[in-house]
Amino acid sequence: MSAGDVAGGLAERVRTAAASATPLAIAGRGTRRALGHDPTGEALSTLEHAGVINHEPTELVLSARAGTPVATLVETLSAANQMLPFEPPDQGGTLGGVVACALSGPRRPYAGAVRDFVLGTRVIDGRGRILSFGGEVMKNVAGYDVSRVQVGAFGTLGVLLDVSMKVLPMPELEITLRHELAPDAADSSDELVALARRPLPLSAALVIGRERYVRLGGSAVAVEAAARALGGERVTESDAPWRGVRERTHPFFAGDRPLWRLAVPDHAAPIALAGDWLLDWGGAQRWLRSEAPASEVFAAAAAAGGHATRYRGTSASGDPKSVDGPLFQPLDGPIRRLQSRLRDSFDPHRVLNRGRFHPELDER
Amino acid sequence: MSAQPAAVSSTDAGTLPGLGTAAEAAARVPVTAERLERRARHARALAAFLPEGCILATPEALRPYESDGLTALKATPLLVVLPETIEQVQAVLRWARDQGVPVVARGAGTGLSGGALPHEEGILLGLARFDRILELDPARGVARVQPGVRNLAISEAARPHGLYYAPDPSSQIACSIGGNVAENSGGVHCLKYGLTVHNVLALKVVTIDGDLIEIGGEGPDAAGYDLLALLIGSEGMLAITVEVTVKLLPEPPVARLVMAAFGSVEDAGAAVGDVIAAGIVPAGLELMDNPAIRAAEAFAHCGYPLHAAAVLLCELDGAAEEVEAQIERVSAVFEARHATKLHVAASEAERLLLWKGRKSAFPAVGRLAPDYYCIDGTIPRRQLAHVLQRMEQLSAEYELPIANVFHAGDGNLHPLIMFDANAPGELHRTEELGSRILQLCVEVGGTVTGEHGVGVEKINEMCVQFDRDTLEQFHALKAAFDPDGHLNPGKAVPTLARCAEFGAMHVHGGKLPFPELERF
Repeated sequence: MSAGDVAGGLAERVRTAAASATPLAIAGRGTRRALGHDPTGEALSTLEHAGVINHEPTELVLSARAGTPVATLVETLSAANQMLPFEPPDQGGTLGGVVACALSGPRRPYAGAVRDFVLGTRVIDGRGRILSFGGEVMKNVAGYDVSRVQVGAFGTLGVLLDVSMKVLPMPELEITLRHELAPDAADSSDELVALARRPLPLSAALVIGRERYVRLGGSAVAVEAAARALGGERVTESDAPWRGVRERTHPFFAGDRPLWRLAVPDHAAPIALAGDWLLDWGGAQRWLRSEAPASEVFAAAAAAGGHATRYRGTSASGDPKSVDGPLFQPLDGPIRRLQSRLRDSFDPHRVLNRGRFHPELDER
Repeated sequence: MSAQPAAVSSTDAGTLPGLGTAAEAAARVPVTAERLERRARHARALAAFLPEGCILATPEALRPYESDGLTALKATPLLVVLPETIEQVQAVLRWARDQGVPVVARGAGTGLSGGALPHEEGILLGLARFDRILELDPARGVARVQPGVRNLAISEAARPHGLYYAPDPSSQIACSIGGNVAENSGGVHCLKYGLTVHNVLALKVVTIDGDLIEIGGEGPDAAGYDLLALLIGSEGMLAITVEVTVKLLPEPPVARLVMAAFGSVEDAGAAVGDVIAAGIVPAGLELMDNPAIRAAEAFAHCGYPLHAAAVLLCELDGAAEEVEAQIERVSAVFEARHATKLHVAASEAERLLLWKGRKSAFPAVGRLAPDYYCIDGTIPRRQLAHVLQRMEQLSAEYELPIANVFHAGDGNLHPLIMFDANAPGELHRTEELGSRILQLCVEVGGTVTGEHGVGVEKINEMCVQFDRDTLEQFHALKAAFDPDGHLNPGKAVPTLARCAEFGAMHVHGGKLPFPELERF
């Protein structure tokens, strides 16, 4: 056991809880409470289980404990001119939160999502057993891919202890270009999609109203060549929207209007829901501020070939609002039963974050 | 490619202690009247809902399905079933569940770990007739295909649109996309472009209950748990894939190949680390040791330097200016690590020729000995020199030559053990040497299978890589999908009893693992 490794103590608490089927609410720094339901149960804090375990720049691997602040990881990697390829929010949250909630930033469609870079995890299951899956190598097909299925599981398939990730070199140069769209192209992903089908060094693309922002990232020669081809106004890093969208501090996210996230194919046509839109991830992640009823939003997302998630607030701290009804796209039929049995296999007594994620999976 | 012994009889199977129940399966279950009766009864039951010609029952018809690419192991199923529609697959699985009949799925049968080795008491479910590309849309950048479509066929269909499907296992001319999904296949270009799991957007699968489930979609993620990630690489154990939607990428404008020769494996291995540390992610980065170089050169005549201790093939792709800049940087790295020869392929034809040598390493080695056995392990890259040195020692100990090809970019190692299956005891020694090499991979922080899957072949080594609690979790997960264990039983994840039998468990500090299990 080394400094910052308190896995034994955490596992003991889960074992005790499992013995009486007592729920535990897994807690990091509480920056994602607005996402998902409030879990029932006593807090199980992961903050002491922190620290970088291993960083091998020449292996493109970083292993760290779940309680580690993302900012620490970003710093460690920057020192070697490397980055977390999925560009997670890094203002205040922990690695555990990023992985459990699958938080990827603007780079996601071009580099990959959180789950694409997870190589291995060590977790505590709902019985209090410490289990290790995967490892520190990318080519590894031994056993089922449990590490990847932990990503975005909101702690309901295990308390994350340690995560190993593939990392990538930072691009040599990144620049952001702004274009103004024609009025009839506002809130549409068509141009973003057309760009994505070309071999351009894209690393982010969004549309908000009539503004299209595109980030080019890669070798300096490739980026400059692409910038010349695309034209548009160069925007400084501080004026670029990426940080604000990643951290949900952009003016779009301010105020009290309900906030929805729709994950749809990038080529999906503009979705007929009244409200304001921010088309992120090249059109594949669409943020919506709207009073439309939840059933309408869920139906529209499904019709577009995707799913919707309701947020209970927009700031990374402070108490989230209380909202009635489902926050996640409701699951039904054989796929719901399958997912419920999957949960059973990891956490039969529903000890871990009961009620936090797709509560319909907790019903028998 | 794998061992091609002249014959493996049931007595030989008895000399393969590492293969446990697979050896029993390969020992040709006697064809009793009872077995024939059962075969006929099942065939009649299936004929109620399957067209004639979808059910194979005669010895001649069954023979081609008795093994996959791991030809050392053969088993005869009760029947081979070749459905043509999703509804038929659903009906077959429901029937199998109700009758308690094991089901082993098969794509093109090119797998190297025995994942499609039939179960003697079950049916072999072949998906090869699902061979149509249903949809290919360049505007959406996707192709929706049936599981029996060959990997290369997808890229061939996409090429006229300037697109391609990135994962390129070396068997891509023959392997099926459904098989790629089962094994989470990689390929030379997976360092830069990812594995199957990074390139598949959606699946349609049929569960053992006959439910057709759609997983994923063209959006960036799906509601609930990431079942797509779980199913990909699940070796036919969780559900049967009946449709695959893949991502198509724009073909890079330019691809160039740099070949570098080194006087030592240490220099080559260090050069690989330096390339990564320089912030370059090559499209492909392959290493061959001297035995592999000699074999490949004799076979393909591509101009490999015969005296080099190691050769690196480094492919760079992207925009022309970017590739030029990368060639310069990579060449500088190789020179700094004392490359004895440095050559940039001058034309597309030369680039393909230099790759041909590497890609034909397996058949090239196959000409040097009556048989060869390909091992598939992954190690942290920095351990390469150490692992190769240990393998040299093991090679001397077992008196079996080994040639190595290495996906240097991601640490996936393919030692090729050369042997003669007809020499008494040599197959057994080869299996044992292979197992020791895999354990060495785990020892240095790697894994027992990089890309070929566990199947039957590495099921014992799984006992070394995973502890009891983790294996139990794998079984619980499998039970969530297939509670009665009808899908591909006996593959991929060993039972605890098997681990207790397998002699190669570690005994730390005198404490026996699984102490609660009886040993005989």
